[in-house]
Amino acid sequence: MSVGRKKSGPAGGLAAVLALSVVSLMLFTVYVKEGDCTSDSGCGPLHTVQLGAAEVLRPVRALLSLAASPFDVAQDRLAGAFSGEEQELRRELRNAQALAAEASDLRRENERLRQMLEGERPGYEYAPLARVIAPVGEQFTNRITINVGTEDGVRPQMPVIVGNNILVGRTTGQVSRHTAEVMLVTDHNFAAGVRIVPPAEFDPSTGQVDPSATEEDVTYGEGILRTNIEGYFGVEYVDLSARAEEGDYVVTSGRAGGRELLFPPGLFVGTIESVSSTDLDQYKKIVVEPAVNPDDLEEVRVITDW
Amino acid sequence: MEQTSVLRASLVVALGALLEAVLSPYLTLGPVSPKFTLLAIVYAVYPLGDLQAVLLGFFGGVLYDALGGGIFGVGAMGGLIAALLAARAGAVRRKGMEGLLMAQVAALSVAAYDIINLAGRGLAGLYAPPLGGYLFAGVLPDALLNGALAYAFAAWMARRARRRKGRGWEAER
Repeated sequence: MSVGRKKSGPAGGLAAVLALSVVSLMLFTVYVKEGDCTSDSGCGPLHTVQLGAAEVLRPVRALLSLAASPFDVAQDRLAGAFSGEEQELRRELRNAQALAAEASDLRRENERLRQMLEGERPGYEYAPLARVIAPVGEQFTNRITINVGTEDGVRPQMPVIVGNNILVGRTTGQVSRHTAEVMLVTDHNFAAGVRIVPPAEFDPSTGQVDPSATEEDVTYGEGILRTNIEGYFGVEYVDLSARAEEGDYVVTSGRAGGRELLFPPGLFVGTIESVSSTDLDQYKKIVVEPAVNPDDLEEVRVITDW
Repeated sequence: MEQTSVLRASLVVALGALLEAVLSPYLTLGPVSPKFTLLAIVYAVYPLGDLQAVLLGFFGGVLYDALGGGIFGVGAMGGLIAALLAARAGAVRRKGMEGLLMAQVAALSVAAYDIINLAGRGLAGLYAPPLGGYLFAGVLPDALLNGALAYAFAAWMARRARRRKGRGWEAER
């Protein structure tokens, strides 16, 4: 460790600390108050600096993501090894898998990409297929960075999906020319208006809701999808009298009264894992299992218009 | 000589900020993650004077705010506190105790940063967990992890320095 000489005294240091503390508070205030790129006033200078930095770091993050992908596969395999049934199947199929591994991977990749490219809803506009570059490492957030940006028509507050109708999140204000930050549905700051539909009424693969399967005398639950302060991912503000059962599907409602929401209607979010309530509760406690594990995301698409 | 020391310290802090911005997404486990920027600040400003230290800490924090995408001002304040603590610890250091002192300073700095970050998120209207639970489940393990990292790094640097000194003595013979 190199040791330099101490020149400035404690008084000079203290004055500097006080001055720089004030500057830090000013930076904080400006950052919070300036345009966060989602409003019409555009990006403020500090947000612009962050977008520029994200753009500069994009190649490094993409490289790192590529380098980290074998570790993800290894992690998946390690997790699978703990499952007895899977282990048995693995033993039986080891030889066949060894021969067909590469071909199988390519076929799966091809099918997934084709499904994503062809599975477009009529009347909707999409940005090009985007690859997840990196997770965002900030505390308390659950976000990812994808490799499409304003040049591809992506703007803040746009829905992000997998397949043709599985909602995984929305873009935040951090959209640069070639990158966009996506707030995943499991992020604590994410919220979406949703309704609950029985499995018979909704086809998750197409996103089509069949109203004829709805029972006339039953009110289906509507509420806000968000990660609760207690940490569970669920639907809040669903009336105790409304129908919501385990296994029901949760889809975006698209509207709240006469007001259009951020997300188009009929995007599949997940399945109800449990429903509970006590006599003291005003609303049902509904826990939802997301349709897609955020850790498994590789390619996503941004809906730019509908 | 002193200019070289400040320049080297600046490079170390810049490298720490860059490392954290690029690597920390992969190393974050809940509220716990290595805070390379703060660790670099603590290590780099340790031998510097107060004024140089706080300036370097502040600008290192600003750099991390810009690269990391968090709330601007939080990293700057965290860097400032880390630099102040490290500079004060550097002024009273005893030989052979550097590692322990650096570990304590790093742990305190990270704890301060976590609390500032929590307060900042609350003030900005973003999600922030309840303070009581977060102190035990978030701040404490984060501070311990980063303290341990700082200690390990200081020990490694000390061993390196000893080896270099040993080689010098052999060369003199």
